[in-house]
Amino acid sequence: MKYSLKLLALVAALAVLPFLLRSPFLTHIGVMTGLYTALALSMNLMLRIGQISFAHGAFMGLGAYGSALLVMRLGLPFPVAFFGAALGVTLLAWLVGLVFLRIRGVYFVLLTFAFGEIIVLTFVEWVSLFGGSSGLAGVPRPVLFGQQIQGRNGFYLLALALAVFAYSSVRAIYRSELGAVITSLDENEALTQSLGIDSRRYRLATFCFSAFLVGMSGAVYGHYLTLVTPEDYGFWVPVHLVVINVIGGMAHPVGSVLGALLLVPLPELLRDAKQYQVLLYGILLIVFLLFMPDGLYGMFKRFRRAREAVK
Amino acid sequence: MFELATKIVINGLTSSLVYILMALGFTLIFGIMRVINFAHGELYMIASFLVFALAGSLGWNYYLAVLVAAVAVGLFGALLERVLFRPFVGRELNGMIMALAISISLQASAFILFGTDEHSVPRPISGVLQFGGVIVPRDRLAVGLMAVVVLAGFYVFMRYTKAGLAMRAVVQDQDIASIYGVRPKIIHPLAFGLGAMLAGFAGALMAPIYTVYPYMGSQPMLKAFIVVILGGLGSVPGAVLGGVVLGLTESVFATLINTTVATMVSFVIVVVILLVKPTGLMGRSTR
Repeated sequence: MKYSLKLLALVAALAVLPFLLRSPFLTHIGVMTGLYTALALSMNLMLRIGQISFAHGAFMGLGAYGSALLVMRLGLPFPVAFFGAALGVTLLAWLVGLVFLRIRGVYFVLLTFAFGEIIVLTFVEWVSLFGGSSGLAGVPRPVLFGQQIQGRNGFYLLALALAVFAYSSVRAIYRSELGAVITSLDENEALTQSLGIDSRRYRLATFCFSAFLVGMSGAVYGHYLTLVTPEDYGFWVPVHLVVINVIGGMAHPVGSVLGALLLVPLPELLRDAKQYQVLLYGILLIVFLLFMPDGLYGMFKRFRRAREAVK
Repeated sequence: MFELATKIVINGLTSSLVYILMALGFTLIFGIMRVINFAHGELYMIASFLVFALAGSLGWNYYLAVLVAAVAVGLFGALLERVLFRPFVGRELNGMIMALAISISLQASAFILFGTDEHSVPRPISGVLQFGGVIVPRDRLAVGLMAVVVLAGFYVFMRYTKAGLAMRAVVQDQDIASIYGVRPKIIHPLAFGLGAMLAGFAGALMAPIYTVYPYMGSQPMLKAFIVVILGGLGSVPGAVLGGVVLGLTESVFATLINTTVATMVSFVIVVVILLVKPTGLMGRSTR
């Protein structure tokens, strides 16, 4: 009760923020941070079962292309296209997950990477449907509750809702029995199986829900940019998501949120010195891997524990 | 028909040699340290820039520049192992993330130092050779020959020296190798340095053929990755076989359809191999 009240107050405060600040630039950063929070949380689920999916960039792309095409070609209303695209991505994840999830460790990374590249190359090669390298331009702004979302504030609320949904669902999963099972999969799968638990079903469920989150984020991303191009959904998306989780801390969903809050605004704020920002990004990652493997979340936790010890 | 076939084979084999140079280092590093070296393409890029600086700007002899660049990149690789990779021995996923971090940092550094301009290195050899109706550029042929020399040197090292024997032992079984006195502290930097040096040779040799720019490493890195999956991660003979298979397959599809389809086909093969036989064509199961 106390927790949900706190969360509600925080979300309410965040929701009115852009209307008080009235800065389109800051609102844009807010939209990106919200979307990347949801994306990072989807990767946090995969990290939890010890299988980093490099197909997540392509899944995000499928969400973006899917929703855009359903609106543009079939004239479906935005909510239908949005959920249709996300569910389509989930279905694909289920189908490939049936065979892919047997593969573990770095082999899974390489497998999903190759699979993602095939999807992205399909975007490039199938020009009549996906528009080739130049992609789909003029993706319409979504219409929600009979009102077209035009400005950034509307997208900000949408992205915030998505981030809150992703955070609360991932947190709820980790706190449930389901969470206990999937955490055990990475630690000692044989022991889990010995309890009569069909571990592959849990892996598959995790992969599918993760893909669902990515599909939804991709759909919103495409409508926000009004342009969907293949290069936005390649190798660097999953890398970015892993980096956010490593720097934020993987042990708790709060880590993904902290990572997104730190790393997403960075490139937008240092726009003029783009390469210095990329270098900073790389060096930050090296420093965290070497000296703070628990990320920001681990740092805060240690700090709090030290303060309590003093009391 | 015959001319087309020979053209496909010759193009395929010349790209194979460079793929093999990249893939051998990549697979050696994985076999010994279990690290997926995503920074392998950046080692290639650094060697190219060194050749550009030494042969292009300072006017050194090209062959000397190639040798110096490859050795320098090798030393740099050994240093990377010592400082950045050592804490992650036995933790494959963290080692991989570290390699990504290094790749990002090196690319950005190259960009800051040299900008996005594409530089070119003067060609040491020019002109073409004709065999019947098939035209082979001389510089490509020279690169092929030098790659063969490097590969032969690597083979001799792995086959006939004590260090080579030790490395092959670690690839097979780290624990048993250490019982026989093979020390990871020495073998790891050696393997990483050697793998980096091979990537350095690839980059240095290709510098006059393609242009030199900060992101040039991603394409060869991708090829090395495909080759290594084909042949089996960690398998040295597999890397050679995989290089030939990829070079020829790509050449066929690129000549008959286009390069996007050629790349797509190679990824489909990767997915199939990983699903059916994750240890590759020549790899052994390690577990």
